[in-house]
Amino acid sequence: MTAFTWMIALPLLAAPVIYLIGRLVKPDGEALTRWAALIALGLTWIPFALAASDLDAGGVQTYTLGTVSLRLDDLGLLLAALSLGLGTVVVFYSGPYMAADAGQEKYYASLVAMVGIMMGLGCASDLFNLWVWFEAMAIASYLLVAFYHEQPTSLEAGVKYLVQSAVGSVFVLLGIALVLSQTGTLDLTAIRAAAPESSVPLLAAGGLFLIGFGVKAALVPMHTWLPDAHSQAPSGISAMLSGVVIEAGLVALLRAISPLAGIGATWGELLMVFGAFNMLLGNLMALRQSQVKRLLAYSSLSHVGYMLLGLGIALYAQQAAGAEGGFFHMLTHGMMKGLAFLAAGALLYALHASMGDHGPLTISDLSGAAQKYPWAALGLSVAVLGLAGLPPLAGFMSKWQIFVAGFETKNGWIEALVLFAALNSVLSLAYYAPLVNALYRQKPSDTVLAGGPLPALMNVPLAVLGVAIVAVGVWPNLLNWLSGPAGHALIASFGF
Amino acid sequence: MSTLEILVVGVIAIVGVGLYGLLITRNLIKVVVALQILVKGALIALVAAGDASGQVGLSQSLAITVIVADTVVGVVGLALAVQTKRLLGTLDVDALSTLKG
Repeated sequence: MTAFTWMIALPLLAAPVIYLIGRLVKPDGEALTRWAALIALGLTWIPFALAASDLDAGGVQTYTLGTVSLRLDDLGLLLAALSLGLGTVVVFYSGPYMAADAGQEKYYASLVAMVGIMMGLGCASDLFNLWVWFEAMAIASYLLVAFYHEQPTSLEAGVKYLVQSAVGSVFVLLGIALVLSQTGTLDLTAIRAAAPESSVPLLAAGGLFLIGFGVKAALVPMHTWLPDAHSQAPSGISAMLSGVVIEAGLVALLRAISPLAGIGATWGELLMVFGAFNMLLGNLMALRQSQVKRLLAYSSLSHVGYMLLGLGIALYAQQAAGAEGGFFHMLTHGMMKGLAFLAAGALLYALHASMGDHGPLTISDLSGAAQKYPWAALGLSVAVLGLAGLPPLAGFMSKWQIFVAGFETKNGWIEALVLFAALNSVLSLAYYAPLVNALYRQKPSDTVLAGGPLPALMNVPLAVLGVAIVAVGVWPNLLNWLSGPAGHALIASFGF
Repeated sequence: MSTLEILVVGVIAIVGVGLYGLLITRNLIKVVVALQILVKGALIALVAAGDASGQVGLSQSLAITVIVADTVVGVVGLALAVQTKRLLGTLDVDALSTLKG
C-alpha cells in the first residue's frame, strides 16, 4: 500500500465504523459519530500530504491490486484536495447544524464514504474503475440528497436525481461497450494507442460519455435535477454537491474522453458550446429565484460554464493555460460556493430549522439579517461577491485567468466567447447584489426578529472559508501548486 | 444475420423499451422497473462487446459489477417509493412535482 491508496482507503474503511458507532454505542453514540467522522477525515490529511510529496518527487504514482490499477496524477490530486478540504469543513459545520436530526450516523457515514469515493474517482486509470467509482459516488449522494426523508420535497428531489443519474450511467455503460468492442481494452492509455484515426462508433461513444457524465456534471440541458437536489439536501451536503460532486462528474467526463482525443478533435469546441449554454441558462434562471438555496444552485450551473470554457479553450488550443484557469476556478468555486451554502444554511438554521420549520429560506427572509447574525451575513456576502467576480476576491482571479487564456489564442470566436462570459459575470451581479442588499438593510424583517440563536461553532468553518477566499484573491499563487500541474496533466492525458 | 447483429438489435430494442417505459409510466415502482430494464440492455451490450473484441473475461467481470451496483440503485429507488407511499399515500409521480422554476 502506497500513501495515496491509504488516502482513499481511510475514509472508506472509516464509514462503516462510524455507522456502527452510531448504532451500537449507548447512550449517545449518535453524538459521537460527528467526532469520529472529523477524526477520520483529519487523519486522511496525513496520507494526502505524503501522496502530494510523492507525486512532486517521483511523478505519477501507480498501485496495482490484481487487475485493478489506480493511478494518481496531478488532476487526481486536485480533486482529492478539493473533496478532502471541503469535506473536512462540512463535517465540522454539520456538528451543530445536524445536532437535532435523527439518523446522524447514516449522514456522517455516507458523507465520509463520499469523500473517499471521490478521491478514488480521481485515481481511476481505466473506464471500468471510473464507472464503478462514479456509480458509488452517485449512490452515496442519493442517500444524502433524500436525507430528510420525512419531507415530500426531499423525496421528490431524490427521485428526480436518482432517475436522471441512473439513465446517465446507462449511457456511460453503452459508451464503454462501444469502446470495448472497437479497441478491445478499457485502459485509458491503451485505448488511445489502439484507437484508429477516425471511427464512427468511438465518436458515438464520446457522445454517450458526454451525455452520461454530463448529467452528473450538470451540463445544460441535462441539469434539471440540480436545482431541486441542491436546494433540498441538508446545507452541508448542498455545499458538497455544488462544490465537489458536479466537479467530480466533470473530471470523470474529461478522463473518459481523453483517449478519444485523436478522433475528430472537436471536444474542445463541444465543451465551449456547453459552457456558453451553462453560463447563460444558469444566470437567467437564477435571476428568477426567490429562494436563496435554489438561486445558489442555479449559479452553480453558470460556474460550471466558466470551467467548461477554460477547459474547452485548453483542448482547442492544445495548451495548458486555459485548463489551469479552469481548474483554478474549480478550486475557488468550491470554496466560494461552499461558503455560500454553509452561510445560507446557518441563516436557514437560525431562522427556520431550529424552530422546527423545514420551509425554504427566501430572499425576503434575509432583510436586515446582518444586525442579528453579523458573521453569517458577512460570510454570505463575501461568498456571493466572490462568485460574481469582484476583485480582490478569489473568483475574480480565477475568471481572469480563464479570460486571459482565451485572448491568448488570438481566435475571434473564442475572444467573442470570453466577452460573452465576462458579460455573464456582470449579469450575475443582478441576482447577487440584491442578496447582499437585503442582508444589510436597516429594518430587520419579522422572520429575523423571531429567529433563534446561532451556535458559535458554526461560525468557525465560515471564517476559515472566508479568509481563504480573500487570501487566494490577494495571493492567487497560493493554489498554483495544485491547478498548474493539473492543467498540464490534462493536456498530457489528451496526448497534446 | 450474425449473432452480433442480432445482439445489437436486441440492445437497441431493450434500451428503447426502458426509455419508453420511463417516459410513459406514472407509477414509481414501474419507474424503477424501467430503469432496471435499461440497465439490462447495457449489460447485453457490454457482454456482446467483450465477445466481439475477444475480451470476454473483462466484459463479464464488468457486467457482474454493474449488476451489483444497479441492484443497490434499484433498492434505493424502491426505498424512496415506499417512503413516498407512506407520506403521500400514492405512488403517482405527479404527487412529486411541487418543485418548479
